[in-house]
Amino acid sequence: MGPTARARLSRRARARSAAEGGFTLVELLVVLFILLIVVTSLASVLVSATHTEVDANKRFQAQEQARTGLDLLRRELHCASAVTQTSGSPLVAGTAYSAITASLPSTCPTNVTQAATFYVTWCTSASTLTTGDFALYRVTSTSTQPTCASPGTVKRADYLTTSTPFCLPSSATACSGVLKPPSSLPLLHVTMPVNVNGPASTVDTYNIVDDIALRNGAHT
Amino acid sequence: MTALARRRRPRREEGFTLVELLMAMVVLSVAVLALVAAYSSGFVALNRATRVSSATLLADSQMERFRALQYGAIQLNTSCGASCTEDATYTADSAYSAAAQVTGCTTTDATCLPTQTKTGPDGNSYRLDTYIAYTCVSGTLSTSPSLTCGSGNPYPVKRVTVVVRSTSLTTPVREQSTFTTFPSAS
Repeated sequence: MGPTARARLSRRARARSAAEGGFTLVELLVVLFILLIVVTSLASVLVSATHTEVDANKRFQAQEQARTGLDLLRRELHCASAVTQTSGSPLVAGTAYSAITASLPSTCPTNVTQAATFYVTWCTSASTLTTGDFALYRVTSTSTQPTCASPGTVKRADYLTTSTPFCLPSSATACSGVLKPPSSLPLLHVTMPVNVNGPASTVDTYNIVDDIALRNGAHT
Repeated sequence: MTALARRRRPRREEGFTLVELLMAMVVLSVAVLALVAAYSSGFVALNRATRVSSATLLADSQMERFRALQYGAIQLNTSCGASCTEDATYTADSAYSAAAQVTGCTTTDATCLPTQTKTGPDGNSYRLDTYIAYTCVSGTLSTSPSLTCGSGNPYPVKRVTVVVRSTSLTTPVREQSTFTTFPSAS
């Protein structure tokens, strides 16, 4: 490298070092500090949004499951020839039950066996997911009225805050303020309050209430 | 200086000007605002879906009570004073028909009230309007001297319309069903 070339190189290096002064440590620290504040606030927003999304999803699934379960219950009760206690005794008006048994004739679509004797029991039992909540199970049998202790129970709803969702109102005895109208078929009052955070949480309970007509009953 | 050396000279790096910075900030804020708008529109849609499904459950429940009733008992209570007054919102509905309305319910049961206020599963309050009117499967309804449908099928049916209203519903939730009785020989 000749002397001219070296001089040109050092001139260039000086020019570059003047233009690219770089940042001082203090400047860098200030920038990092500001960036930290911005990123932290953004991250906290993102984390809380994710938590909300997970919670909303859980609630949606629980409500959807309860609605679907109620739909199946409604179809079965519409077709049932009798709805009784699991012991086989008739339902007492105004009393809330944790379990009911429907007898389905062989023509009912949900009587998969098409047997002449087909019992479907809907019953509640403590939820395995949230302490204090209850799950609603369905169990069938072709011999005797099954209970929640019988084999083959299938969960149809969960996170219910009541253990006694079923009640039969009469014209004189109400179920949660609901009376059976005159000249009406028997109505089964079904209450399914869904709360994924347990019964202690009074807010955000999705309270599904329905009166299901027992269509093979008598107008009274 | 040769042309090659001039081309190799490093570009001046003076940082950004204020205008460049402002432009970058505008672009960034547009992007951030778009994200926020997506979030909030998702929230609004979720809220609306909750309202509609709650209103539908209430309408289903009311219709189920009519399905349980005997044909003769499907009627409205319009003579119980203040609690069964038909207001302007009620009478403005397309399902309302003053001439063909089925009245006569005298029980204290809330099912046959024209307008009720009910709490939905989501905890919000909804207004439940029930309309019951005679209607014809074919032919034109005539109410005098007797209730008939003229030529064709002479028997009127009862049409029950349940409309659930709420200020937070853009359009009310409606359910309609017709009820009939087998005409007896007598």
